[in-house]
Amino acid sequence: MSWQKEVDELNRRLEMAKAMGGAENIARHHARGKLTARERVDGLADPGSFDEFMGLVGQGTYNGPELAAFTPKPTVEGMIRLDGRKAVVVAGDFTVRGGSGGMSGGLGRESRASERALEWRLPFIRLQDGAGGSVRTFEEAGRTYLPDGNSYTQYEVQLLSKVPVASAVLGSVAGIPAVVACLGHFNVMVKDISQIFPGGPPVVKAALGIDITKEELGGDQIHTRISGCIDNLAETEADAFAQIRRFLSYMPLSVDEMPPRGPVTDDPERADEALLSLMPRNPRQAHNARKLIEHVVDKDSFFEIAPLYGRARITGLARIDGYPVALMANNPRFNGGSTDVAEGNKVMRLISLADTFHLPLISLCDEPGFMVGPNSERMGIERAGARLLTSVCSSRMPWLTVVVGRAFGVAGQCHHRPSGMYRRYAWPSASWGSMHISGGVSAAYRREIEAAPDPAAKKAEIEARLQAIASPFRTAEATGQDIIDPRHTRRKMVDFVHDAQRVLATQVGVPWIPYMP
Amino acid sequence: MSEVRVLSDIDARVWKIEVAPGDSVAVDDVLLILEAMKTEIPVEAPKAGRVKEILVKEEEPVSEGQALLILEV
Repeated sequence: MSWQKEVDELNRRLEMAKAMGGAENIARHHARGKLTARERVDGLADPGSFDEFMGLVGQGTYNGPELAAFTPKPTVEGMIRLDGRKAVVVAGDFTVRGGSGGMSGGLGRESRASERALEWRLPFIRLQDGAGGSVRTFEEAGRTYLPDGNSYTQYEVQLLSKVPVASAVLGSVAGIPAVVACLGHFNVMVKDISQIFPGGPPVVKAALGIDITKEELGGDQIHTRISGCIDNLAETEADAFAQIRRFLSYMPLSVDEMPPRGPVTDDPERADEALLSLMPRNPRQAHNARKLIEHVVDKDSFFEIAPLYGRARITGLARIDGYPVALMANNPRFNGGSTDVAEGNKVMRLISLADTFHLPLISLCDEPGFMVGPNSERMGIERAGARLLTSVCSSRMPWLTVVVGRAFGVAGQCHHRPSGMYRRYAWPSASWGSMHISGGVSAAYRREIEAAPDPAAKKAEIEARLQAIASPFRTAEATGQDIIDPRHTRRKMVDFVHDAQRVLATQVGVPWIPYMP
Repeated sequence: MSEVRVLSDIDARVWKIEVAPGDSVAVDDVLLILEAMKTEIPVEAPKAGRVKEILVKEEEPVSEGQALLILEV
């Protein structure tokens, strides 16, 4: 006697789970321009690689001993492969109860996906759609409950210092899931269909009396540009999946491994002639920092993170001779490239990412200083500066700075780490100081200028005197600072990144500073 | 033939317009120069094409996302 009957029953149950919230709900979901949870997992994963967890969980209704109807849990989860490498995925299923509520726990419950990612040491990916708690649950339970979500969120917190975590926001995501969307190393939202907020428009109306749409409250214009809660914007869901795959391609599977070297696609000795004239001689003119990046990293290897937020600093991941690196560059085409609170947040996240996952950091410095003015004061630029400085000095990953232009003030200081494997090169176009000569002269020589018969001429005279000693060669004479031909930048980087591998290999394991999202 | 609207990335002032309607431009040619924070910020052609229309004047303030000119590509 075989067990065919039971295997048929198993397959019937799996088929019922695959029907998700039913044809009608799926049609409505598609009509909103959204993919279902299962289509999303398929869209993200290598074909045929999905190995489901807890595919039989749900609520059945029985006709005698026979299962008559079945509503699956509102998540689809399991292991997948991305370019052959394993990862754990959890996709919210909006077609089941609007993606709200979870399975009940208790004795005999299987491990959560997050616990598996932790124990298997695999990247964790959330494809989010739906809300957290619903007051409907109160009625079903006949009671209310304390907000003890940390009982399970704690695993996702532990993940941050163990494995790469990425979230895609693929719908209106409210409550705990909105916060959890930021509990990771990279997140992305899709134009028009994605919003996050702890409380949506009805909650805002009840609390504040404001009428506001979902998009105005928590759409991409807010979160990828102003709040910085979401790193990247995707045009489509497929684009969001591609961005997650790309992000993870630079990451090790866990902190216990080194990031994988990709194929060598570019000449390590490439010395682009354009670098020689990339920096304008006129200090009023801003260079193109994105072009600069293209000239020095492996061709097409730069993946920008948070391009729309804190735009005076470009941050992202790239490859140098195949090795993944974290990279940042001042962008003088926005606020002169200065460091404001948003730029500081971006840099701290990048440093923390690099330190946690063993990537060398490369800084292309053209730093005019911290942003000045009343807005920066209101945002708390000094405490932001203190946090940035702490993050810089406490980091350990190998760090290479190339001063291509300015390096001024405390923000300039934040391109320097006085410990560990740190190297700095300067281009002949570099200029530096604890402050800018033009602003500094008025402050330091105020009395002398005021007492002069022609104060403007006096100021110009002092400035000219100081400019004459501002050549980087004078600094090099005294300090040993190395100045390089800009065209040799890439080869210096390649050499540094090769050497960095030995140092990084000594740093594998749990980071000594836990990752703060 | 299609049209590309070249937008300003930032709040700024139009400092100098470097092209005229009818001009042919190559990728990365400077179309106009904005000024913000005492810095000149060139706006470069995203594609090769012909300048169809310039939508701003020198000295005019522009805001982020505002169309500066139209290219035929």
